[in-house]
Amino acid sequence: MRNKEPVLDDGEVVYEDGPGCGWNDFEDEDVMQQTSSIHDDEAKKLPYVGDKEPLSSLAAEYQSGSPILLEKIKVLAEQYAAIRRTRGDGNCFFRGFMFSYLEHLLEAQDKAEIDRIKANIERSRKALQTLGYAELTFEDFFTLFLEQLEDVIQGKETSISHEELVLRSRDQSVSDYVVMFFRFVTSAAIQNRSEFFEPFIMGLTNTTVEQFCKSAVEPMGEESDHVHITALSDALGVPIRVVYLDRSSCDTGGVSVNHHDFIPATGDLPSSSDSSEKKNPFITLLYRPGHYDILYPK
Amino acid sequence: MADKYNMKNPAVKRILQEVKEMQSNPSDDFMSLPLEENIFEWQFAIRGPGETEFEGGIYHGRIQLPAEYPFKPPSFMLLTPNGRFETQTKICLSISNHHPEHWQPSWSVRTALVALIAFMPTSPNGALGSLDYKKEDRRALAIKSREASPKFGTPERQKLIDEIHDYMLSKANPVPQPSPSQASEEPKKEEAQTLVTLPNPEALLAGEGIPDEAGDKIVEEQEVPVIANPNPAGVEASNEIQPEVVPTNQLPPKSETRVQNLKPETRVQKPDDRLFTLAAIGLAIAIMVLLLKKFIKSTEHGAVFMNES
Repeated sequence: MRNKEPVLDDGEVVYEDGPGCGWNDFEDEDVMQQTSSIHDDEAKKLPYVGDKEPLSSLAAEYQSGSPILLEKIKVLAEQYAAIRRTRGDGNCFFRGFMFSYLEHLLEAQDKAEIDRIKANIERSRKALQTLGYAELTFEDFFTLFLEQLEDVIQGKETSISHEELVLRSRDQSVSDYVVMFFRFVTSAAIQNRSEFFEPFIMGLTNTTVEQFCKSAVEPMGEESDHVHITALSDALGVPIRVVYLDRSSCDTGGVSVNHHDFIPATGDLPSSSDSSEKKNPFITLLYRPGHYDILYPK
Repeated sequence: MADKYNMKNPAVKRILQEVKEMQSNPSDDFMSLPLEENIFEWQFAIRGPGETEFEGGIYHGRIQLPAEYPFKPPSFMLLTPNGRFETQTKICLSISNHHPEHWQPSWSVRTALVALIAFMPTSPNGALGSLDYKKEDRRALAIKSREASPKFGTPERQKLIDEIHDYMLSKANPVPQPSPSQASEEPKKEEAQTLVTLPNPEALLAGEGIPDEAGDKIVEEQEVPVIANPNPAGVEASNEIQPEVVPTNQLPPKSETRVQNLKPETRVQKPDDRLFTLAAIGLAIAIMVLLLKKFIKSTEHGAVFMNES
């Protein structure tokens, strides 16, 4: 389980591309097959989306590690009750977002939110068409996510329980499709506002916006950073809180845990008054360098 | 076809959509369809890209779609010898599964085939499964590729291959482009016949640039248009123009001006060279026979001889 491995002596948490995080350096088929089997082993250890665990399990990871991190986890524990781990396969941000979002809808039975996001999804669909994507290459992913939105609302034949939601998010044929749906939405959002994202992308990778989307957004297993999160949050109109657990410390001596709220850009959203009301994102992800898990507030 | 598969399997759904799309938007550049017994196994043929040594070639291959399609890339394998990719070896393209990190689900079999066509004229750079044949050899293979579809697999697969071949033959411009120095190959009869039917005289150039290597067949097949040419060139013309022809090869082969151009025109007439040589020889023989007759007539010895005729 990669979440437990990467604690080095100095407490540095290393979540850089593990075997699950991509194929980047493998060209030879044999190596690929080997990688693939490592990948499979990984899968057996940790499902795409794990079980809800008390936050103490996070502290257990760092017991012999950095005191700063242990301090920070204590701070976290004041606000957050639990963690749900995601597999470190490069899709963890999208997977965490998927589960967290659908779980919220299921628990809150928030039909208004579903209607709202559907409108945004349709805009994303049109954006992809305008960008020249062949419908058949993305429609399945859209269809599948829209089905999940329907299914979490109770009282229908197709309604699913919380257990079923967990199972689906662990089922490759649902989970990966939803991840890919988010990747399409993210890619379209970045390309649609390329002048906004360009400086960030240039700073990150020194590539064009389009190239970035082709190489770092659309392929499965490519990790997400603030560009992806900003774009997805904007496109779907869903605010996201990311809590950062790293070794940075404040000069003042007190240990605090930073977080950043990604609030959807209101400029091009019709329901700008709505989104300004949503001060508190209902999705909280815990970021450790290279990895995202789901956090549950108290 | 759909009944046999679990439509809940998203890969199957996607693949069936691609089949439908492929059938409703056919391309002249490629054709690809799955086997009826297994939609994860496809056959395809691509047309050699224009203005390259592959032009006119019809290259068959098979595609295997992984169970995780479209998350994992399809793998491609060529069956027709082509001089660019080894046959029956998985092709190393950034679109195929040797480089899975480049594959993305927003691509499709169609995208991959378009990319494969674009890859043909590129330099292999030592990539796995690549070949770096000379242009002449590739052109020869292109010409040969039209003759017959490759023999591969089950009868059902073979039927599909043959269907695709016929389709591509009907679509693929039957002109392996004229670059005399590249066209050192002996075109087959079928080839030459198709050429003859073309209105563009340029077509005549195909496959017969170097007279020494050109088989007699060519001459026969091309007699018709040649004779129609009102302005035959000298018998020895081909030897003279040979050096001048070489630079012409560098030009993009598709230009009307070349037809007006004297040089290609002379080349067009190369087949007549032989004809007229033959005619000249025949004429010479006839004259000699006449002279001999006259000579014999005029001598005593021949008198008995000639009386009989």
